[in-house]
Amino acid sequence: MNLKKSRNIAASSVSLDGIGKQGKGADPKRKRKMADITQALNATPVDVGTLRRMAISEGGLMTDEIRCKVWPRLLNVPVENIPEKLDEVNRENNKDYNQVLLDVQRSLRRFPPGMPDEQRMGLQEELINIILRVLQKNPQLHYYQGYHDIVVTFLLVLGERLATALVEKLSTHHLRDFMDPTMDNTKHILNYLMPIIERVNPEVYNFMQQAEVGTIFALSWLITWFGHVLSDFRHVVRLYDFFLACHPLMPIYFAAVIVLYREEEVLDCECDMAMMHHLLSRIPQDLPYETLISRAGDLFVQFPPSELAKGATRERTQQTAASTFTDFELVSAQQRPDTVLRRRRREQQQEQQQHGGTANPQLGTVAVIRPAARRLVRLAVMGITVALGAAALAVVNSALEWAPKLNLLFP
Amino acid sequence: MADMESSLEFSSSLTSSTLPPPRTRIFKIIVIGDSGVGKTCLTYRFCAGKFPDKTEATIGVDFREKLIEIDGEKIKVQLWDTAGQERFRKSMVQHYYRNVHAVVFVYDVTSAASFRSLPAWIEECRQHALGHEVPRILVGNKCDLRHAAQVSTELAQQFADAHSMPLFETSAKNPQGGTNDSDHVEAIFMTVAHKLKSQKPLVLSQPANTVTLRGQDQDEEQRGNWGCNCWRS
Repeated sequence: MNLKKSRNIAASSVSLDGIGKQGKGADPKRKRKMADITQALNATPVDVGTLRRMAISEGGLMTDEIRCKVWPRLLNVPVENIPEKLDEVNRENNKDYNQVLLDVQRSLRRFPPGMPDEQRMGLQEELINIILRVLQKNPQLHYYQGYHDIVVTFLLVLGERLATALVEKLSTHHLRDFMDPTMDNTKHILNYLMPIIERVNPEVYNFMQQAEVGTIFALSWLITWFGHVLSDFRHVVRLYDFFLACHPLMPIYFAAVIVLYREEEVLDCECDMAMMHHLLSRIPQDLPYETLISRAGDLFVQFPPSELAKGATRERTQQTAASTFTDFELVSAQQRPDTVLRRRRREQQQEQQQHGGTANPQLGTVAVIRPAARRLVRLAVMGITVALGAAALAVVNSALEWAPKLNLLFP
Repeated sequence: MADMESSLEFSSSLTSSTLPPPRTRIFKIIVIGDSGVGKTCLTYRFCAGKFPDKTEATIGVDFREKLIEIDGEKIKVQLWDTAGQERFRKSMVQHYYRNVHAVVFVYDVTSAASFRSLPAWIEECRQHALGHEVPRILVGNKCDLRHAAQVSTELAQQFADAHSMPLFETSAKNPQGGTNDSDHVEAIFMTVAHKLKSQKPLVLSQPANTVTLRGQDQDEEQRGNWGCNCWRS
């Protein structure tokens, strides 16, 4: 019932679809993509690999109608098993209720402009219910400010019933670390940002380190999947297509790509914590999303999380049996990337000393070349056509059963 | 979002086009308090001169700044607007306590809970080793909702006295209030700026300036307590 209502809202608003309606049907590429998606959905079993590629490749999943069918597949949520009747929500006994209420009431910007107040208020009620329902069913999860920015996206695209199921799955997987009792793990995940930047552009990295800008500027990007900072809903859902099809650390790679894309601005900025935090935390609204998405995928292949965390894998071999996301689990399990970094720096210094102590300004470049070579090896190993694009590969591979095998490559 | 951004453009254009000379002093002020007490609105009101259209939860830390002039000296006031939810303050906000020159504690006069949290926020500051010489003020926000007030001025004043802080009651939404037709929020932050400017051991080696706002700064020697009475809008 509710589902229908919300879906209609989404469908009636032109701004909600991933791609504008213009040219619908006229574009042969788009038409073919739609056919591919339909075929993948109708296959037995459903061809999730293809769906992932479609979600990542240019334009993403295109319409909310398609998203309603594909997103559950990407999260492996069996739609047919979702109960018709949603659990009752006990608002009064919920420890997070006040905070959720406060945040949802203030989240006016997340709703399509021009939506009648009454309609919006109805959706806000549903939003509160979804959040509290997931929290009361999973007492190990803790609400954080920004969670509502993620849930609202699912609500607007899927409606209350489907959104509840998907958000629950997401919360116990991709978002789980953000929902710990403390934000320590979130902080550790943020620690992956600078190493990625360092490998690609040591100059930007050094400048940012010098400014001591930290990584909090990217906090809301990470924990809201950019839902908090992007004002155009089409961009938000496009990114969600991408992230849902990907490894849970992909938002960090995307964050790195944004910083790197703004290289010139960063280097022109005053080398000062406040100024740089200010610059970086304001995200340009006209980013070339498709380019950046494919670049983020490339970086993921070049510098997989297991490599960034390399050296910190000791005593962490068992724990993750239940998860497909081996890399993610490494992070979740209290790995401390900062110790990794320190160790890596030590290793680099040793390396330098072994090279006769000469300062090596090329170090960053060297670091880039090595993984690139490895990537070629990997492509060959997998025997998959390169035409797919590295981004699609990265994701398909890491998000499916392939990921655990990374451990074999990088013990 | 449009409103918010225009003010940010405004503030950044200040820094880029009319880049202040290198010796411009910077006053770094952190604004803390429970979720929803109006920290974002207060800082926005000061930096942009108006009440923001729609504000959302602050995630992590937001930054706003304003270039002001006191006695012919241009000073950059940097406001660090922080997330109110406890989980953020525990592990995310520490970085921003470093080198802070002043602290603004905010509570909501219509929320007794936000007032009851103040000791925890004060403790938070203590843990970050902010000494007594760092000026601290207490701001009771949302005074325009006086009919819904849950925290009396007397109670707040007692608390402020006990912690040697001046108390200001105001409203970021309607700071003009009563008879005073100047912007009260601006006056509050300017008071802090004057206090900082007059403080001797601050940032750059400039002779201490004795000018204070409304001459309320006589008992400066009395540590921390800088003699402001409660201001009500």
